[in-house]
Amino acid sequence: MITLRNVAAYAASFVVLFCVEVAPESPLGLRLVPEAQAVVGAPLTPGSVAGVARRTTRRVAVAESAEASSEASAQAAAAQQQAATAEQQSATAAQQSATAAQQSATAQQQAAAASGALPLGTVVATLPADCSKMTSGGVEYYKCGPDYYRTAFQGSNLVYVTATP
Amino acid sequence: MKALHGLIPTLRPLDAARRLAAAAAVAALALASTAPAPAHAQASGVDPAAARILKRMTDYLASLPKFGVDTSNVVEVVLVSGQKLQFDSASKLTLQRPDKLRTERVGDVASQSLFYDGRTLTLFDPNDGHYATVPAPGTLDAAVDFARDSLDVVAPAGDLITTDAYQRLMADSTSGFVVGKSVVDGVRCDHLAFRGIGVDWQVWIDDGDKPFPRKFVVTTLDVAGLPQFEVRMSNWTLTPDVSPKRFEFSPPPGATRIEFLPVGNAGAQP
Repeated sequence: MITLRNVAAYAASFVVLFCVEVAPESPLGLRLVPEAQAVVGAPLTPGSVAGVARRTTRRVAVAESAEASSEASAQAAAAQQQAATAEQQSATAAQQSATAAQQSATAQQQAAAASGALPLGTVVATLPADCSKMTSGGVEYYKCGPDYYRTAFQGSNLVYVTATP
Repeated sequence: MKALHGLIPTLRPLDAARRLAAAAAVAALALASTAPAPAHAQASGVDPAAARILKRMTDYLASLPKFGVDTSNVVEVVLVSGQKLQFDSASKLTLQRPDKLRTERVGDVASQSLFYDGRTLTLFDPNDGHYATVPAPGTLDAAVDFARDSLDVVAPAGDLITTDAYQRLMADSTSGFVVGKSVVDGVRCDHLAFRGIGVDWQVWIDDGDKPFPRKFVVTTLDVAGLPQFEVRMSNWTLTPDVSPKRFEFSPPPGATRIEFLPVGNAGAQP
């Protein structure tokens, strides 16, 4: 039920106003994963014809590499966004690398989960249990076990991404 | 959290064949009685009658300086098991050309609003008071693209509301035809069906003197189970409240500003 609830929450927020455009990473469509590893940005139904045609621009989600995100900060995020935007324009190659990236990121995430700490930049739809809220530098964080999360929008979904306060 | 709905109705092959035959007849009639379709770039395989009806609708919407509409959205999600779920939501959209848009979720579930005032775009989640504001392009058309491509945020029926909607829809459409007349929510419509790259889409357009779109369905072809996105549009109004404050966002006390995650995190990969 937990995973189903996650999907419901995800889809419900997702359809609020908008639809997330994501290309299928596998022919099976949405992948459901255990709550602790909930992957946001899984394939869904595009809500736009143009979106389908331009699906290389879709979000691929999940984790960044640990190295890349060790400097996780507003600046890094901005730079990544620029990189991502540039990448959108290079279509198929980006899509393929994105898929590979997602796979490797998922693998990292699983490996890290086993060791108790998630790689920075891991995105989850729901926080784990027993988190405490804190504010650092005007930014709101949740401390959950060994991990800190900040709240963000991924598309129109409210998500939590691991970060360093 | 959300009630799940039943399976969507599907056309059985026999029905489809019948309707196609009817559609062909209607298309032939329409062709006989109308001027040639516009000289716009038009993929071969698109029935000029279908193109004409579509363009009449998009031209009409593009000509409106402002409008409001209620949308009812259904999105399907296919689980790994192949089981398909539907999720419903409704939202209210207010638009003023060339550079204002507001959409807000209505109903009893989590609400969320989008504000675009020609300078910035804000997504606000009032549940726990989170919002993100980013600089946005200066026109609605560009802002719709920006939101989709850079933020992964898609306006309901975003394909239909831009001034160049016809080009957007037809750019990758390889075929299209008039299925026939159909009644959607009590309104008599022309039912059009198109095929594009990786997608089939259908639109139902009021066949009266105000050719509003009433229903729009996008079928994703490369996901098993062919999930669909559907939006029904009702309560069209040409006189919505477009006072400037409706499109500007002022964070309520206690609201927390957050960021959009970058689209395509893969950019961070070495």
